[in-house]
Amino acid sequence: MRVITGYMVRRNRGEEISMKPHLTAAAGGQKKSENQGDALGVNSEIGRKLKQYYDELVSEDVPDRFADLLRQLERSENQPSTAESGE
Amino acid sequence: MTMSEGSTFRQDLLAAIPSLRAFAMSLAQNADKADDLVQETLVKAWDKQASFQPGTNLKAWVFTILRNEFYSQMRKRGREVQDSDGLITARLAVHPSQQGKMDLDDFRAALETLPGDQREAIILIGASGFSYEEAAEICGCAVGTIKSRVSRARSRLQEMLAVSGEADYGPDAIATQVLGSNAA
Repeated sequence: MRVITGYMVRRNRGEEISMKPHLTAAAGGQKKSENQGDALGVNSEIGRKLKQYYDELVSEDVPDRFADLLRQLERSENQPSTAESGE
Repeated sequence: MTMSEGSTFRQDLLAAIPSLRAFAMSLAQNADKADDLVQETLVKAWDKQASFQPGTNLKAWVFTILRNEFYSQMRKRGREVQDSDGLITARLAVHPSQQGKMDLDDFRAALETLPGDQREAIILIGASGFSYEEAAEICGCAVGTIKSRVSRARSRLQEMLAVSGEADYGPDAIATQVLGSNAA
């Protein structure tokens, strides 16, 4: 019997999230988490929950105001009216 | 300066926002505060743009800025940044669901009770995908400090959630324990 966690991850922006179902759990730390002594690897319950908790946060919709803010910052930089003007 | 440079930087910042927000939420544990933190971080990152070394880890760089911002806000507000260890743990009663499988809500509740330094360490290492070295840099401490925080966080979570986190492969792991764990 296999443990399949298969959590739903809503994707909206480009960022990659690993959401492999843990079909290969028996193979042991197949990811880069190997160098973490597997203390928090995909094979530990804590490690899995931690990722599930975090992935849920990461996959939340991002309010437009952040993209707007960055556009504004870029725009204001391109018209060097104040202080030093970067080369 | 060229337009494209600015745009690339902007695109990179944009791409980092989902993880920034997740990290901010883990720190601030409040959606509004988290988003304010992200906003402040973006402004700061933009201002410090020149100090970012292209080719290095932008995500680690902005995480550092966000973390610094978080703690400086905490200090300004005169809050206790660190929870004293045992107190909150004692108050918490998390009952793991059947089969020792914990619910995500149980987990979140347990995570919230961790002292801030332990919580951020376990998030950076176990969820954000940073190496111990990167996490140490983000937190401005020694690698060994991160390691011990992660390990303390992990033990406390395991304690609170009553799971054996080591090699939980499901039913087989339990069977192995029952039989006396001689399967390597």
